[in-house]
Amino acid sequence: MARRYDSSTTTFSPEGRLHQVEYAIEAINNAGTCVGILASNGIVMASEKRISSGLLAPSTINKNSSEKTYPLAAHLAANVAGLTADANLLMEHARLRAGRYRYQYQQDIPVEHLVEFVCDYKQHYTQFGGMRPFGVAFLFAGYDKLHGFQLYQSDPSGNYSGWKATVIGANNQAGKSILKTEYLKEEAGGEEGSIPNVEQALKLAVKVLQKTMDGTGGASAASEKMELFTMTMNDDGETVKHQILTKEKTEEIITAVEQETADSGDS
Amino acid sequence: MSITSYNGGAVVAMAGKDCVGIASDLRFGIQRQTLATDFSKVFCLAPKIYVGLAGLATDVQTLRNLLEFRMNLYKLKEERDMSPKVLTSVLSNLLYEKRFGPYFVEPIVAGLDETTNQPFLSSMDLIGAVETESKEFVVSGTCTGNLLGMCESLYRPNQSPDELLETLAQTLLAAVDRDSISGWGGVVHIITKDGVTTKELKGRQD
Repeated sequence: MARRYDSSTTTFSPEGRLHQVEYAIEAINNAGTCVGILASNGIVMASEKRISSGLLAPSTINKNSSEKTYPLAAHLAANVAGLTADANLLMEHARLRAGRYRYQYQQDIPVEHLVEFVCDYKQHYTQFGGMRPFGVAFLFAGYDKLHGFQLYQSDPSGNYSGWKATVIGANNQAGKSILKTEYLKEEAGGEEGSIPNVEQALKLAVKVLQKTMDGTGGASAASEKMELFTMTMNDDGETVKHQILTKEKTEEIITAVEQETADSGDS
Repeated sequence: MSITSYNGGAVVAMAGKDCVGIASDLRFGIQRQTLATDFSKVFCLAPKIYVGLAGLATDVQTLRNLLEFRMNLYKLKEERDMSPKVLTSVLSNLLYEKRFGPYFVEPIVAGLDETTNQPFLSSMDLIGAVETESKEFVVSGTCTGNLLGMCESLYRPNQSPDELLETLAQTLLAAVDRDSISGWGGVVHIITKDGVTTKELKGRQD
């Protein structure tokens, strides 16, 4: 029944839906999972790396070159779920926008401004022309003086929202339900209702990824497929540090999480 | 009145042994009136790259912001720092784009190549004609005659960072004393692979 209203982005269906946009959102549910968590002293973004082959040529310059995490400015980074080719275009736009803002105001672009810009660009493809929407969803992590650390999620429709913790990509519902129960519980300190710090958030993110990812194997195999990213404040209190964790550190965290789950299983 | 001598200013850079130094005066004025004595014309664009911009003050500021914009984008895309050689090309290109309505600045690039740490110096005119990599010194501003004379007299090759600082300081201070629209103190930056030393100079405050 909906087939007549399927093919054109710019046509509503009789039920008031934009099918192309919905199909684009579906495309993301097949992509590698991304978890974002707003911690008390920074932001953690963990993702499942889908492209992982021994034949891939590694980057000779930057050992931490990533297909999931894109730095957008000194104070901004984004994680991608969906079509990488689409993501490249949008991230380039975002970088230019952030650069132009800095050129004009000699200040870092507020995080929400940048997110809104990218989303307005995406929305354009749901209303005009004959072109398909972008098949990408993003997790934006950023810091500005106005609102501190922030985490936003955006989808192909051009809609965005701010989150304390969220998941996009494959099995995101399973991930979200874990976050709902675990995020506000401060396990180490034992107090209910306090926000995890970056160290704890990393473990929580790994926990979520383990549930959403399929596959077995030990910490070493898992660390091949997981990418952990943190954004924290530098010692100067002004600038922000982006860090993609090394394989060793990632393995360490995965092992620690597996230990904790095993322990709590026994007790 | 020439537009390049509307604000006044002096910039000089020299190469030493595994180091470069760049210095500028601190005067900001409009024709004869001095308005500020903390206007450095040397800007750090990367840990080992400094750019000196002498000429019309508004263009000095604008060009500095433009270069910062270009360097940031380069760093995001290429995941590495721009080398001073590439920055020289970018600057030259930027200036030539405004061939028939130019920026009234004559820039100097001083830095260490990001992999080899070899000293690098270059200068260009206001429409981007590049003086190919100089091995000794480059000058720019409203008292280039004075600066060149001082450089020729005081410069020696392969100076250590400390010697280079002293040489640059003496060169700058002596040259700006004979120029009414440059001076009011100076600042010197010495760049080595281990870091940057910055010294403020107190000269004749006139």
